[in-house]
Amino acid sequence: MADPAVMGSHTLNLGMRSGTNKASTSPAENYYLARRRTLQVVVSSLLTECGYESAEKAAVESLTEMMQSYITEIGRCAKTYCEHTARSVPTLPDVVITLIEMGFNVDTLPVYAKRSQRMVITAPPVTNPPVIPKALIAGQKRTHPAHIPSHFPEFPDPHTYIKTPTFREPVSDYQVVREKAASQRRDVERALTRFMAKTGQTQSLFKDDVTAFPLIAARPSSIPYLNALLPSELELQALEETDSSEQDDQTDSENNPGNITNDDSGVDKENSGLPSGGVVPTVKASEENMIDNPYLRPVKKPKVRRKK
Amino acid sequence: MNRKKDKGFESPRPYKLTHQVVCINNINFQRKSVIGYVELTVFPTVVNLNRIKLNSKQCRIYRVRVNDLEAPFIYNDPTLEVCHHESKQRNLNYFSSAYTAAVTAVDPDAGNGELCIKVPSELWKQGDEMKVLKVYIEFSLDQPKGGLHFVVPDVEGSMAERGAHVFSFGYQNSTRFWFPCVDSYSELCTWKLEFTVDASMVAVSCGDMLETVYTHDMRKKTFHYMLPIPTAAPNISLAVGPFEILVDPYMHEVTHFCLPQLLPLLKHTMSYLHEIFEFYEEILTCRYPYSCFKTVFVDEAYVQVSSYASMSIFSTNLLHSTMIIDQTPLTRRCLAQALAQQFFGCFISRMSWADEWVLKGISGYIYGLYLKKTFGVNEYRHWIKEEMDRITDYELKMGGVLLHPTFGGGKEKDNPTPHLHFSIKHPHTLSWEYYNMFQCKAHLVMRLIENRISMEFMLQVFNKLLSLASTASSQKYQSHMWSQMLVSTSSFLKSISNVSGKDIGPLIKQWVEQSGVVKFFGSFAFNRKRNVLELEIRQDYTSSGTQKYVGPIKVTVQELDGSFNHTLQIEENSLKHDIPCHSKSRRNKKKKIPLMNGEEVDMDLSAMDADSPLLWIRIDPDMSILRKVEFEQADFMWQYQLRYERDVVAQEESITALEKFPTPASRLALTDILEQDQCFYKVRMLACFCLAQIANSMMSTWTGPPAMKSLFTRMFCCKSCPNIVKTNNFLNFQTYFLQKTMPVAMALLRDVQNLCPKDVLNFILDLIKYNDNRKNKFSDNYYRAELIDALCNSLTPAISISNEVRTVDNLNADVRLILEEITRFLNMEKLLPSYRNIITVSCLRAIRTLQKNGHIPSDPSLFKSYAEHGHFVDVRVAALEALVDYTRVDRSSEELQWLLTMVQNDPIHYVRHRILSMLGNNPPFTKAAESQLCTEALVDQLWKLMNSGTSHDWRLRCDAMNLYYTLFGLTRPSCLPLPELGLVLNLKEKKALLNPTIKPEQPVAAPELPAPMTFSAEEEHLVTDTPPIPVPPPSQALKRKLDTPLGSPPEPGQVLQDEPSIKIPMKGRFPTQEEEDIDMETVHDSQAFIYHHLNMLERPSTPGKEPPSVEQSLLSMPATPMPMPMPMPMPMPMPMPMFGKESSSSSKHGEHHHHHHHHHEHKKKKKKHKHKHKHKHKHDSKEKERDAHAFSNSPASGRSMRSPSLSD
Repeated sequence: MADPAVMGSHTLNLGMRSGTNKASTSPAENYYLARRRTLQVVVSSLLTECGYESAEKAAVESLTEMMQSYITEIGRCAKTYCEHTARSVPTLPDVVITLIEMGFNVDTLPVYAKRSQRMVITAPPVTNPPVIPKALIAGQKRTHPAHIPSHFPEFPDPHTYIKTPTFREPVSDYQVVREKAASQRRDVERALTRFMAKTGQTQSLFKDDVTAFPLIAARPSSIPYLNALLPSELELQALEETDSSEQDDQTDSENNPGNITNDDSGVDKENSGLPSGGVVPTVKASEENMIDNPYLRPVKKPKVRRKK
Repeated sequence: MNRKKDKGFESPRPYKLTHQVVCINNINFQRKSVIGYVELTVFPTVVNLNRIKLNSKQCRIYRVRVNDLEAPFIYNDPTLEVCHHESKQRNLNYFSSAYTAAVTAVDPDAGNGELCIKVPSELWKQGDEMKVLKVYIEFSLDQPKGGLHFVVPDVEGSMAERGAHVFSFGYQNSTRFWFPCVDSYSELCTWKLEFTVDASMVAVSCGDMLETVYTHDMRKKTFHYMLPIPTAAPNISLAVGPFEILVDPYMHEVTHFCLPQLLPLLKHTMSYLHEIFEFYEEILTCRYPYSCFKTVFVDEAYVQVSSYASMSIFSTNLLHSTMIIDQTPLTRRCLAQALAQQFFGCFISRMSWADEWVLKGISGYIYGLYLKKTFGVNEYRHWIKEEMDRITDYELKMGGVLLHPTFGGGKEKDNPTPHLHFSIKHPHTLSWEYYNMFQCKAHLVMRLIENRISMEFMLQVFNKLLSLASTASSQKYQSHMWSQMLVSTSSFLKSISNVSGKDIGPLIKQWVEQSGVVKFFGSFAFNRKRNVLELEIRQDYTSSGTQKYVGPIKVTVQELDGSFNHTLQIEENSLKHDIPCHSKSRRNKKKKIPLMNGEEVDMDLSAMDADSPLLWIRIDPDMSILRKVEFEQADFMWQYQLRYERDVVAQEESITALEKFPTPASRLALTDILEQDQCFYKVRMLACFCLAQIANSMMSTWTGPPAMKSLFTRMFCCKSCPNIVKTNNFLNFQTYFLQKTMPVAMALLRDVQNLCPKDVLNFILDLIKYNDNRKNKFSDNYYRAELIDALCNSLTPAISISNEVRTVDNLNADVRLILEEITRFLNMEKLLPSYRNIITVSCLRAIRTLQKNGHIPSDPSLFKSYAEHGHFVDVRVAALEALVDYTRVDRSSEELQWLLTMVQNDPIHYVRHRILSMLGNNPPFTKAAESQLCTEALVDQLWKLMNSGTSHDWRLRCDAMNLYYTLFGLTRPSCLPLPELGLVLNLKEKKALLNPTIKPEQPVAAPELPAPMTFSAEEEHLVTDTPPIPVPPPSQALKRKLDTPLGSPPEPGQVLQDEPSIKIPMKGRFPTQEEEDIDMETVHDSQAFIYHHLNMLERPSTPGKEPPSVEQSLLSMPATPMPMPMPMPMPMPMPMPMFGKESSSSSKHGEHHHHHHHHHEHKKKKKKHKHKHKHKHKHDSKEKERDAHAFSNSPASGRSMRSPSLSD
């Protein structure tokens, strides 16, 4: 009951995750393509400004590449300068220095920017910003306990450390248990007997449909009483389980009356160095008993005198 | 001569046996054969003892020597084939008397025997009366059909690995089947027993085992037993097998034996035997008489328990593990029975068959005391009631059971039991059921004696018998004390009167010397004016099986003020008895009511009659009369009796009575009893069934859930979910038995459509479904089996539409569910068999019920497969029972044939016996009704079965007679051609014949007991006759010795040769068979004699198909020409034969014709028996075929070569 629910939510999460992944890859692509396209437009308009009427695609590509490299270099260097001064966000002077470093006459820039024949380029269409894929959320994210300063990194996602129970709640309803046990046993028995019936000879109660109630054929055995009298293995097993303790008790008490004295003497003897242990006295006693009984006596050798 | 005085025991034999050696030196499991010899030490008690008659059946006798002299002998067993000719006689009366005559003719108690040995004349001429004779007999048994039973499982391995074993068995005195002996309970002697068996086997026999010695090749060993206590031959037994040995941990002189792999079961089963020993020794104040005791558990046992001197043989199926509940008390009972019989039956033996009741009575009685001690007074009283019901039911149905038949002086004509179709003169002619009832009655009578003289005296009597016997047993034979080990009715009665000083004569006369039980009808009225209870007790003493009772009877009246005993005198013509009441009929509600046992209880008295102080009345509450009481009292009285009477017998009686009162009050009383856990569980079980019956009678007014359902739910189901039964826990046996029984009883409930209510069926199916035994210490197989029985009980006849064939499709939905359960259970049994396959048994029964009710097609094939040899015996019996039922319902002659074939061929005697007895109880047809099954062929078949097919088993023969009686009655079966036809046939023979169909006189002319005078006369006759016969002993014996190669014992030639010498006096030789019609009987006898005489030659062992072995028979031929020179008239001399075969048959012919002549002369006037001749001929020619095989398959291999006659 609980399990399917868990499973369901699980798969649901999975689905969501794969969904976000797709969305995040294609917008990034789009962004890159858009930037590239914008740069191409810029290159083309600069060429037009300069008086070119047409340009080879490859040339435009090269110029675009150069332009991109250049801008990237500016960004990189500006960032470096800013970080050099222990800041994280570049400022205008950083860029200026960069430009200077790159051999660019900064003073020409305002003029150039305000040139008359400059072409206005429309802003690239706004593409939705790439969504950062959401981390899997399993369970409640833990906040820091009081003794951990808040600036310390947050706890990782709970799914990395919490255990998720995947077993089903045991059914404790007696009726259901009995019901299950009963039907299970019945099914097993039925299946087993059906199988036996199918694989061996059968007898049938009906003439019209011999498969209806298949009876495993009766097979005579040479020593029928053994099967009939000896408890089956199953029963023996059950017996061991149920009353092994009880039996122990019984044998203990049975042995006691006869053995207590024996045991004592055994201990004494042990002290005096005789080779008898706790168990030996009983064996010994039974050996003595054996002597009484003629059936336990050894068989005699034939007398020599007797002639064949 | 045979006049018995009261005390002394006179042997019917002219000699006394003192010691016997039995030596069996080879037991061959492969061939199922046994070779050995016996040596009997005999003291003649007459001058000139010239004949010794011994018992021997089916033994092949090779040689007999008396004091080292070869002795001629005759072997004649008239019981082999009771009617010696294929007469057209088919009426049971005729057979029964012929059979009785045959049994008498060999009855050791009458001094007879099958084997007649002629004492060599040198010996009897010595005339010294006290000269000891040693009779040495070499014999063998080949595939014995009786006496010894070989169990040889058909698997791989050596005999020991296979668990092959052999044991002796028999019904009553049957030792003669396996060695020659005096097979009488009254002939005691000491024994030396030697058995040489394979080194892997153990031979268990009677007495002390002295030593075991290897043979020289070390492959065999010899067990030496010595039994110094004088013992009768029937109490000698033997069991040989690869037994596992268990020395009893409590009594080291007691040893238990079981078949391989069963040792754990044996340990558990035997763990309480010492308690039984202690109990008997204590009450009898007498040590166990033998120095050791052995129990042997064997497969395919003849009966569950059989006791022999110092050992008992049990069925291996009595063994059980700790998990088995139901079998435990049963097995304990068997052990207790066996041990009781050790004292009375084995150690103390009986003088004659008529005294058997004393032994059975005493052993049954002390067994009852054991039951009382072990299982409690309730169980004991319940058992007594059960036994009482059994015997009364039997006697009222079948006629009386007579414990002590007296046959006054052998002259008495009238049969003491004319209602029976068998004679009770011999144990071997009794029907098995009768014998069981006999035992039952014997112990009940013993209890009556105890009631009369008190238990203390009773035990003193037993002690006296035992101490006399043990004194006697230690004496030498010469002291003539041994007869004190024999009990007789008169000696027993004498002891009783000596010990108790009481005269129990009337009691004995009533119950022992007279058959029948008492049937009382009681009713009462309360006379308010006089405050008197007017009790009327009537008797039915005219129906069969009843007798009139005169004497005291105890009546217990429970009144408001207490319980009062009254002893009334039943007299000739007083029916009414006035019993004054002690209490006024008032309602004192506050007062508690005192019961018989002193207890005081509160009762709700609102139900009772306001005018009467009587709560209930019981007639003969102590069961001190063998009676059946039908007593009438109001329903509320029965209900009070059920609720408040503490005696289980009273409770059971009231439950039975309440069946006739289906009222809410009865229902309440029964339910209350059911719930009361102090109440004896068997009473509660009985209440279940009564409640079901009442519920059915009250169907229309019944309210609430089906009877017992809520009770069961409360007791055995879970509190939280009442439709689910608790997991099994059988620690409390009382509730266990109740839990088993309630569903079975509930399934008997019926609704208005006479169907089992849906509720109940589902309930039972749920019980099966939710049954869970995993946590149980005990096996639930009996419980599951009873649930199947419950399903089976719920079945009602199918509504059949125009007799359509039953198919799977039109199976009723409920039945489908039931069938599914049964199928599953039955299939699971194959994988996990239950103890004693009890579930299979229940399933088979249920399937038969389904068939019978028309739910599934009636088909015997399933049962046939389960009935085959190789299934557990309980399963087989269940399947056979279904087949018997099928045979009756479907009138199938094919199945009947199948069953009868099994009766003839099955290796297990018990199964054969059961088939016949089940056929008798559920007969395919009866004498009253016509049936197409009743055919001449069937009559012939059954006739043959009882005439000759069952000669190896007394019990089986009597079973066959029972069946014959059930099917055809006493007279000529109706399906046979009309008597007129018989007459015509006889006319053809030119004889005026009234015979075959005429039954009337014969039964009356019952064979007489051998008149002793005749007998001795006969002896003299023989003596005078013998001299003229030249053939016999000295020279011959000498010669034979010379001729006979060493160690080749059997001498058929000798046999042939010797017979003639005895033949002439023959005519009169079986005085026992004489009947009114003397002439006829003489002929009959002489024919019988010849026949058997011949028979002996061809088949010394029981008739049967002996595998022909041509070579051997050819080899053995030369032996047979011998008889030719015998000095007898040979009216039809045959050409001198080339082969022995012919010669032997021709010689037979010779003899035969001789007799014919004889016969003819004799008979001219008495034509009656002409037909016998004819058939005799037929018979002979048949026999001829067999002659070839005579001796051919003797186990003694060398024997065929030599023959003394060769030299002739």
